[in-house]
Amino acid sequence: MRIIGPDELVFGVDNLDASTAFLTDYGLTSAGDGRFEALDKTAITLRAKDDADLPPPLPTASLLRLTIWGVEDQATLDAIEAELGTDRPVIKDDSGMLRCKDDAGFEIAFRISHRVKLDLPAELINSPGAAPGRAMNAIGANQDAEAKPRTLSHIVYFVPDMDLMANFYIDRLGFVVTDKFTNTGPFLRPQANNDHHVLFMIQTPAYMQGIEHLAFHMQGPTELMLAGSRMVQKGYESFWGPGRHKFGSNWFWYFSSPLGTHVEYDADMDMHDGAWIEREVPMDKEAAQLFLFENVEKWAPGGPPPAGGTKAGTAPEGP
Amino acid sequence: MTAAMQAVCALADIPDGGSRGIWPNARGQHQAFVVRQGGQVYGYVNNCPHYDRARLGWKKDAFLNGPGDRIMCASHGALFRITDGKCEIGPCIGQSLRPIAVRVREGHVFTEPPH
Ligand code: FES
Ligand SMILES: [Fe+2]
Repeated sequence: MRIIGPDELVFGVDNLDASTAFLTDYGLTSAGDGRFEALDKTAITLRAKDDADLPPPLPTASLLRLTIWGVEDQATLDAIEAELGTDRPVIKDDSGMLRCKDDAGFEIAFRISHRVKLDLPAELINSPGAAPGRAMNAIGANQDAEAKPRTLSHIVYFVPDMDLMANFYIDRLGFVVTDKFTNTGPFLRPQANNDHHVLFMIQTPAYMQGIEHLAFHMQGPTELMLAGSRMVQKGYESFWGPGRHKFGSNWFWYFSSPLGTHVEYDADMDMHDGAWIEREVPMDKEAAQLFLFENVEKWAPGGPPPAGGTKAGTAPEGP
Repeated sequence: MTAAMQAVCALADIPDGGSRGIWPNARGQHQAFVVRQGGQVYGYVNNCPHYDRARLGWKKDAFLNGPGDRIMCASHGALFRITDGKCEIGPCIGQSLRPIAVRVREGHVFTEPPH
């Protein structure tokens, strides 16, 4: 099945103004009607919590109301409708979008992806021994560069039964396991996407079920650092990062948000195809991060450290 | 008032019905926060019971949900009663924020250090 990845996530919030300000400062572009788009038109949509048009909420604190998956073509939609129609109601709306619940009870939908194809440069670097990545006199550190999320990268759920959840996406929708944290859950990618993961899950008690975080891909590590630093300057709460994950290799920087979920910037994720053999390790801090910088007030090397020293804090665990 | 109590801000620095981060550490992260309801001020350690060392807010001084009737952990949306810090819904349901002693005197707010 040619599923590409998350196309749009719909939230029902009680603080539309704060959530709007957050998503705008994060770098998404308001497209009207509560939609906040990345460069390729993948999006987060905000609605009032009591909006009658929203699918029902989970009985938990999670504010995520709908995960819309983007697929390549009508044939895939038809295949999904036939497959899931065998054991649950699948509703088709006027636009042709399919809606149902997954086996964990999350409200999900499928549509032909609204993504537009991006044609943008990667981060360009100079590396001794390699041909210069940037033209002569082209500057790498540009304080004023735009830093806009390019595309919705992945979503992570807290689920009460990770095997049930994972098997639904693997057996019914053709997702592939790329790597696994023992006792936590697999990293999954769908068939029309080579990204290391578009979906990850963490086993929790049922009263925690919901979204743990969502992430958008940035151009590269420099843009991620630029965007994250701007969030910190605006007073937003950095939760974890910046750093680089081991599984997936992606750079990360997580922020807390008024949507009641972490919102991550990521960059430079590994890509895999059918030749890849999954790895499995127990989950702990060392497995989750290759390295971690904490965002501290800048100071010159050799200059005075900030008052109170530079003792690095420890980061919470998580993917 | 115990000797350990320290002035953290003026009462007027906390909007009525709002919140404010206090006790910044060396890296500017607030170790506690206060919530004001009229003349009443409640103080809690800025640590979510769900996750070791997780701070609650999503922005400087933003510790409440939209209507301002609950303390919210922005990490996973846990909601806590303002008056006693008990989590009513969320990953730490039934657990409580750790309170810190607060006194309001002559327009100033004093609290014990977060512990
Ligand atoms: S860390 Fe507070 S709800 Fe999860
Ligand atoms: Fe992530």
